[in-house]
Amino acid sequence: MDNTLVLLAQGFVQVMQPVNLLFLVLGIVLGLLVAVLPGLTLVMGVVLALPFTYSMSVTPAIILLTAMYVSGTYAGAWTSILFRVPGEPIDVPLLWDGYPMARRGEAAQALGWTLLAAFFGGMVAATTMVALSQPVAKIALTFSSPEYFAIIFFGLASVVSLGGGSLANALISLFAGILLATVGVDDTYGAHRFTFDVPILADGIDYLVVMVGAYGLGEVFMRMEQGFRSPQLDKAGDIRTRLPRLKEALAMKATFIRGGLAGIFIGIVPGAGATVASFLSYGIEAQYGKRGHKMGTGIPEGIVAPQVAATASVGGAIIPLVTMGIPGSGATAIILGAFLLHGLQPGPQVFQTSSHIIYAMFASVFVGIVVMCVIGYFATKYMVKVLDLPEVIVSAYVVICCLLGAFAARNSLTDVWLMVIFGIIGYLFERFRFPVTPMVLGVILGPLAETNFMTTMISFENDWTVLFTRPVASVIMCVAIITLIYPLFRYLRQQHKPQ
Amino acid sequence: MTTALIPRTLLAACITAAGALTIAVPATAQEKYPSRPIEFVVPWGPGGGADQLARKIGPGLEKALGVSLPVINVAGATGQTGLTKMLTSASDGYSISVFIADTLALQMEPATKWKLADFTPAAIMIQQPSAFMVAENSPLKTWKDVEAEAKKRPLKVGVTGFGSADDLHVLYFNGKGLKMQSVPFPKPAERYTSVLGGHADLVYEQLGDVKSFLDSKQMRPVVIFADKRFPDFKDVPTGKELGHDIIINQFRAIIMKAGTDPARVKAVSDALAKVAATDDYKAWLKEQFADAASFVPAAGAAAFMKGELDAMRKYAPKK
Repeated sequence: MDNTLVLLAQGFVQVMQPVNLLFLVLGIVLGLLVAVLPGLTLVMGVVLALPFTYSMSVTPAIILLTAMYVSGTYAGAWTSILFRVPGEPIDVPLLWDGYPMARRGEAAQALGWTLLAAFFGGMVAATTMVALSQPVAKIALTFSSPEYFAIIFFGLASVVSLGGGSLANALISLFAGILLATVGVDDTYGAHRFTFDVPILADGIDYLVVMVGAYGLGEVFMRMEQGFRSPQLDKAGDIRTRLPRLKEALAMKATFIRGGLAGIFIGIVPGAGATVASFLSYGIEAQYGKRGHKMGTGIPEGIVAPQVAATASVGGAIIPLVTMGIPGSGATAIILGAFLLHGLQPGPQVFQTSSHIIYAMFASVFVGIVVMCVIGYFATKYMVKVLDLPEVIVSAYVVICCLLGAFAARNSLTDVWLMVIFGIIGYLFERFRFPVTPMVLGVILGPLAETNFMTTMISFENDWTVLFTRPVASVIMCVAIITLIYPLFRYLRQQHKPQ
Repeated sequence: MTTALIPRTLLAACITAAGALTIAVPATAQEKYPSRPIEFVVPWGPGGGADQLARKIGPGLEKALGVSLPVINVAGATGQTGLTKMLTSASDGYSISVFIADTLALQMEPATKWKLADFTPAAIMIQQPSAFMVAENSPLKTWKDVEAEAKKRPLKVGVTGFGSADDLHVLYFNGKGLKMQSVPFPKPAERYTSVLGGHADLVYEQLGDVKSFLDSKQMRPVVIFADKRFPDFKDVPTGKELGHDIIINQFRAIIMKAGTDPARVKAVSDALAKVAATDDYKAWLKEQFADAASFVPAAGAAAFMKGELDAMRKYAPKK
């Protein structure tokens, strides 16, 4: 342990060298930008930055990419909360409570909670990463496709039961999303599904198009119907960015801890990244949180839970990368590529041969989180002012942002049209009281659920009972099923009461 | 001076154009190739094997050709998205691409939209033998153990996907009476976890791609599908020794669009030959556990690819 601390201290010294620090700050800023723009996902941003690191020496290269990864899990929350445009799929759960808060004039508080959550999640995960890398990494290996499927199934189940309103409508919306997710060439057997010989459809409908269209553009249509005159927005400008008070934060300590643990754990297992962590943590909070039944109405728990988990997943995903050479998420897969290109093979031996690089990477996570939060604190101050602008102007920028985002994903105009279609669908859904969220959830998690289900079936000779005979999978599956059935049960009881 | 130049170039252009109508060669022979940067398409994401090859040979190739070669990663559809990008540009030699065996395997699907004749290989750069590997702590220690176990229960084998070269090996051994089941894990991380975590009994992979796991003693090959034993793994039998002649190498090649002037293909091929002859490149091949005689120049590359495809077809299930 002493040795670890010495090495970590040396890591900090390295990160504080001017060149390294410069790349760290650059990485943080790039990560924030990438996260804010809906068309550029975090993984894509890291991919784009990778070629620039080829000519750099290895330590600044790894620091740059790690810094981008850390801050990329944070800034998408801003647009989610202020405009209902999630910058990343991880930010979708944030808007369920963040946006209603902003509409109530509590944008500053919402952003403050996000900041605190990102800070806490990041720090807890980074500490775990340094202290417990070796033993924790071993546990992750015991997870296989049945467990992944169970986790994702829980994610799908828990969110359907939220959002109030009709459960039937929520299920219809969810299944529509899952159906959309099946479009394209199937991952396992390569069958073409609903592609109608359109080349771009062979690659599937990008979740980004659905997400940005249904939330961002759909919301603009809603406001257009109301003539761009919502009185609440005037209030937003009066309040300055406000970090939660210590007492408020302590009252929510359970939420922070649950989210942090979920994030670290999902980060460690190789099949899932920040997105699953964010959804899962929101689901857990809704089931077990003190105010779980109020989730979705605009309470801080709904912001803290997903944000803590998303940022915590970064530290988690780095653990299997450095200890075993297995990336725990999409972004760490790219960072692995950067290691390889510099002739370094992450794995047990790297702690012996190049421990200084690994500890510089660890230190850069800590320093990165602090830099990110400082930038975030000052940036949000000005961002909240955006809400003072006339709504019609803000909406115009939201539309531009949506169009750019849809195009940037695959450089395809077809995607732009698809996004517009999903914008209309999103509007109609809201209008006729169908929740949009289950559909978006289905599109994002559907393919993951399918692939892991198929792998499970192939691996266990089509025996679906493995989902209930493997201990971890079984516990998660049972919890998920209770989550699904309980609201039905409650609904039926309420139906009977009046008589 | 400049005014005098313009008519002359114009005249030259007219003559060249007229010449091109009668004989095709002079048109290109007069322009020096390459005279501007050549786009280098990598149809896979950064950091993967195809990308590493491009980054490895890029600087040497730039020196040999005298122009820069900006690398563009166009990932998607098992390398077909990038291939399509290269095939839609002009056949003037200013767009070249990496091409790997996994993409070639798609030719076995009748619905594939491109043909081998659509491009001209400039050279085969690397050929890596593959192997069945087990986790270091697996109860299956040798190929004999694997054979014995595969007669009792179906063994799970981690592969990239159905229809891949990986899967063909599994099907081959099914034909030999061994019970094996391919379990597809398209993401390398999940494939390696499957065997390290004991969720799969074997994993099919190129030795070079799991170097870190081999070096750190987490995985070990039980059979290598190559002509002869590797000095680093001298106790591991080859498939051939055991009477299994199936060898489908993972190869990575550099290709150009069909119809490119043969002189230009030769220029690129010669430059690649220079790169392949350097000690640095040879050391890299060794590190990747690749065949030391990996390099095949343009002259033999097309025939090589056809041969590889025939080998794949031979072991593919009849449709």
